[in-house]
Amino acid sequence: MASITPVLMKGIGELNLREIDVYKTQGGYAQLERALRELASEDVVKMTDASVLRGRGGAGFPTGRKWQFLPNNGEPRYLVCNCDEAEPGTFKDHQLLEETPHQVIEGIAIGSYAIGCHHAFIYIRGEFKRGYEIFRDAVAQARAAGYIGKGICGSNYDLELTLHRGAGAYICGEETALLNSLEGRRGEPRLKPPFPAVKGLYQKPTVVNNVETLAYLPWILKNGPEWFKAVGTERSTGYKVVSISGHVNKPGNYEVALGTTIRELIEIAGGMRQGRKCVAVQPGGGSSACIFEEQLDVPFEYESLAEAGSMLGSGAMVVFDETTDFVKAAHSLVRFFAHESCGQCTPCREGGHWLQATLERILCGEGLESDIEILKSASHQLTGINLCPLGDSIEPFLGSVIHRFEDQFRSYIKQPRTKVAS
Amino acid sequence: MIGVSEATTASAVDFPALLERLRPELEAIIAQYEEPRSALLPLMHRFQQEEGYVSREAMSTAAEMLGLTPAIVESVVSFYTLFFRKPVGKYMLQVCRGLSCVIDDAEEIMAYFRKQLGIGHLETTADGLFSYEEVECLAACDRATCMQVNLEFVYDLTPQMIDEMLAAIRAGTYPVAPLAQTRKPERTWKVPQETRGKSAGAQGVSDPNDPGGVGDRSGVIMLERFTQERWLEGRSRERMVSDAAAWLATNTEEKKGH
Repeated sequence: MASITPVLMKGIGELNLREIDVYKTQGGYAQLERALRELASEDVVKMTDASVLRGRGGAGFPTGRKWQFLPNNGEPRYLVCNCDEAEPGTFKDHQLLEETPHQVIEGIAIGSYAIGCHHAFIYIRGEFKRGYEIFRDAVAQARAAGYIGKGICGSNYDLELTLHRGAGAYICGEETALLNSLEGRRGEPRLKPPFPAVKGLYQKPTVVNNVETLAYLPWILKNGPEWFKAVGTERSTGYKVVSISGHVNKPGNYEVALGTTIRELIEIAGGMRQGRKCVAVQPGGGSSACIFEEQLDVPFEYESLAEAGSMLGSGAMVVFDETTDFVKAAHSLVRFFAHESCGQCTPCREGGHWLQATLERILCGEGLESDIEILKSASHQLTGINLCPLGDSIEPFLGSVIHRFEDQFRSYIKQPRTKVAS
Repeated sequence: MIGVSEATTASAVDFPALLERLRPELEAIIAQYEEPRSALLPLMHRFQQEEGYVSREAMSTAAEMLGLTPAIVESVVSFYTLFFRKPVGKYMLQVCRGLSCVIDDAEEIMAYFRKQLGIGHLETTADGLFSYEEVECLAACDRATCMQVNLEFVYDLTPQMIDEMLAAIRAGTYPVAPLAQTRKPERTWKVPQETRGKSAGAQGVSDPNDPGGVGDRSGVIMLERFTQERWLEGRSRERMVSDAAAWLATNTEEKKGH
């Protein structure tokens, strides 16, 4: 039986880690001080690369390698911490931001030092008003203690940190849309290449990292890359905060070693509500396809989930029992993506809207037999032909459940009228 | 100013005085960024905090301060759902309709809110106290069904909690402060997107959360504009669709007659 291993979440619920003094009693900011005193920035990059820490926001790209893409052309570099968490089912960054803001600040500072950035940003989802205020107060404490500003920790390294609040747009979690939003533009994704590492914020080399990714940096420095690599699997190393919600007894964030099975994660979250049976799990946030009851022994890590036909994504697990109405569940997600489409690409803008309308017709008992085929054919027409992954995210959940639970969709559709002989 | 009604063309507050008071703070915000335009969202947040919505003055002032045109500012503001381009109620009730809430009991919670408030999605009560919106995932899925009241989270909602909340807000004893309200809100703060309307083909699609209501009203709204007639008021969904069909049939016949 696998267990919870609190690393990032250590002390949450027990200590008031919003206070810098409490955070420091837990060894907080010691790794930032050590890095500035003992390590060259290249050493931090090397350690991160060696740990194979993969981006925890959704794409899972190795962090150290992402940093190495930055060109050495003397231009200023920027680090942007992505806290625009809005993927359905995901609530880990929300908790980390509010409960351990200093850990996030330390991670941002270490990441900035590693890439030679002197002005970092954190983009906080507009709805996290309370989180923004908590983080702002924590930054003020860190500034007063000399961890942000000119010559931090007595070194000659300067770092500014600017908080930027979003205003209600899921798409701004996509890194190029986020940069546009940070530049005061509509949150519309940019065409890639050029990638942000080459032309990002203000057309300068930029790294965008997730909150959780950056929060692991102090721990990797403290315990060494080997410690991080020793847990998890060969290509999915380390720990991961998994947001578990849905029909489980104790929904919440649980930090586990990657490679823990889905079945174990359900047990960790208190098992199924009212002892019901788990029929499906969406393992990687709203963008991922479902996996089903016979696949519950799949390890929760990047490769295995991809092989199982889904993805790890943001690491948000929504668990469904046999009472679930999958037509309504699919409708909720399709409506979400239709609502959040920025409108630049036709397949995403129109496709999402029409899938929503079709599902609404079915839900109201006005569906046609042909609607099932229309919904099934959506994947060929929506996926892989948009500027950003949002368009590709509309269909996976719907596509997986309509094949598995076709009966549920059909039961909503009126019986076809008997043909009258002519 | 496409789509912005006359009511919002002038601010009800003494805008020059407001600007004078805020100016040092706004300039400090702009100075945080390498390029001034980055300050657009923070500036809009600040003005909305004062006025309760993003007024025309706020947009033109931001344009002036950042070296942009008012049209560019509005194009940005209109992208983000947390900026209200028309006045809203003093309490913005935003109930989550994300996946984890929907598979919990969000549908009952939303139906209960609609019934208790007597308004629907994106609408404001006649007394200007409540605005109601069903929003996308709020990232509190472990405490479904959740909502925000003026962006403060409320978790694990039950009908009883809703009753208590509405009563406390009405009595002025609710712990969350009201939003600024410098102008009386209309029935909705939603500005129709005339330039990017949805396809009229979806008209008559029902709203699964509102039995008897219509999910996508865009087709009927187009018809309303075209005929100068109120199609959405006082008609049942079936009646509205059949009336619209009858109107279209008559209109087509007239055309044929010419």
